[in-house]
Amino acid sequence: MTRARQEAILDGMITNSLEVAATATVADAGEAAVAVRGVRKSYGSVRALDGVDLTVRRGEVLALLGPNGAGKTTLTEILEGHRAADAGELDVLGHDPSLRERAFRQRIGIVLQETGLETTITVREAIELYGAAYPSPRPWDEVADLVGLREQADKRADALSGGQRRRLDLALGICGDPELVFLDEPTTGFDPAARRQSWELIEGLRSLGKTILLTTHYMDEAQHVADRVVVIARGRIIAEGAPEALGRGEASLVSFRLPAGLAAEDMPLPAEADVELRGAAVQFRTSAPTRDLAPLLSWAAVRGAELEALTVSRPSLEDVYLQLTRESA
Amino acid sequence: MTRSDPPLLRRWIAARVRLTLRTPRATFFTFVFPLMFLLIFSALNGNTRVPAMGGAGGHVRFAQFYAPSIGIFGLTLACYTSLILGITTARDSGLLKRVRGTPLPMSIYLGSWLTGAVLTGLASVVLMFAVAVPLFGVDIYPRTLPAAFVTLVLGAVTLAAVAIAVASLVRTADQAGPVAQLTLLPLSFISGIWYPLDGAPDWLTTIAHVFPLYHLVNAFDGCFVPQTTGGGWSGGDLLVIAAWAVGGAFVAVRRFRAEPASGEPGGLRARLAS
Repeated sequence: MTRARQEAILDGMITNSLEVAATATVADAGEAAVAVRGVRKSYGSVRALDGVDLTVRRGEVLALLGPNGAGKTTLTEILEGHRAADAGELDVLGHDPSLRERAFRQRIGIVLQETGLETTITVREAIELYGAAYPSPRPWDEVADLVGLREQADKRADALSGGQRRRLDLALGICGDPELVFLDEPTTGFDPAARRQSWELIEGLRSLGKTILLTTHYMDEAQHVADRVVVIARGRIIAEGAPEALGRGEASLVSFRLPAGLAAEDMPLPAEADVELRGAAVQFRTSAPTRDLAPLLSWAAVRGAELEALTVSRPSLEDVYLQLTRESA
Repeated sequence: MTRSDPPLLRRWIAARVRLTLRTPRATFFTFVFPLMFLLIFSALNGNTRVPAMGGAGGHVRFAQFYAPSIGIFGLTLACYTSLILGITTARDSGLLKRVRGTPLPMSIYLGSWLTGAVLTGLASVVLMFAVAVPLFGVDIYPRTLPAAFVTLVLGAVTLAAVAIAVASLVRTADQAGPVAQLTLLPLSFISGIWYPLDGAPDWLTTIAHVFPLYHLVNAFDGCFVPQTTGGGWSGGDLLVIAAWAVGGAFVAVRRFRAEPASGEPGGLRARLAS
């Protein structure tokens, strides 16, 4: 990656964080549900978190992206109070999570992957039993409706399908009507329809004013549900911003097929661009697609040639993510 | 402790008992297994007379000795073996971690395990006598019933407290089964559950005296020896049992408090995997 492109990405991020800051002040006077600074955590000689700063605004849906071993789980577990940080300032809903105060746990909901549950408990019993520890639990039927398990109310946990079990986990995470919900890869292993349903559910929680911090491997999930994306790799936050703003400064990809009988050498392809030729397929990256395409298009028009399959595509969040995590490796 | 904690504890205990009764394995172990022993051994031994427990002298019919002993065995299965398995399985499956993420105090959660085990254990002993009294003519004596009941409850609480302590020391549920069996079975033999200890060498009874099971069997069986006079209270035995309850509770509280991270799949790799 060139220095210019790096700066372009940074540019995008800075612009974006200014926008975010501006909307935050308007929306909720900048009140943060999560505010942590300089969080560090090592396991022996392995640095899992190496100085992480993170702010999650109230009512925000924040997606934490990162490859396996990046520190996502460690970070969320520290925020949940499951783990103590070695260093750093921590403020989650005004509490220090490492103290694991009951008043703190009453205000958060945690949905982990593959968490055990009494095998013979029914959906309704589980929601009522786990809800009972909260000061103002939601009625079980409301929770069952929210996660779409109303019809399975009397089914035992061990008789539920994988997807239904995950939804029950979700139900138990929100049965206490928490302000802040942690979702650890909420749709991993779901079929597309179930994922859509879960996204709607997260959307529903957002509209109830909940703050949501979710980790995910899926870029489309981050794009769909998150207000903001934070990319973490090797224990550091390497990028953050609105999903559509990440990679704003990145080059577009132009691709088309060579018209029959014409050679690429004859075409007015942009001089600085790195042009790739694969058979008849031509592609190049440019940060000024209009400028670089204009001569190409008039050249083709004059010859009455059609540039088949012509596309100009913006880098997807996935491209940006891969680029970012590759650089940090 | 808040004002809403006692109802919360009651709710969890009720759920624990209900869920335990729904688990065929636990029900079989707690209720059917001891009954099976009672039936087989009584059929084998008929009306043989054995030396009475508790040094009260004389002989009692086999069933009179055997029913209370097997009752204690059932109590041990419910309050010790099943509890160790239940808690370690809950920990391995991430259930303890789930609970730690909710406002439910760990003390209430573990308290529900303990109380649930004590209640099912007591129920199994009652069931045992409900069969043994009419079927094998086992005699019960109203004057020793209070002592029998107190001994049983104290014993159940002690076994459960020690079980929680053991569960906190055992690494995985896979280890829990062998550990529970290896601690219980030899002790059950040297504690006089299967046959009276009168012929046992001194060194063996000395070892047995250290552990609560011997004292539990001794104190409880004493309540069913016809020659026993008075209320059947065995103060010395109860003292040792109570000491084990305190010790077990101490270890359990320390271990579950000191290790906020226990209950998650251990190992560096697991912790690092996002």
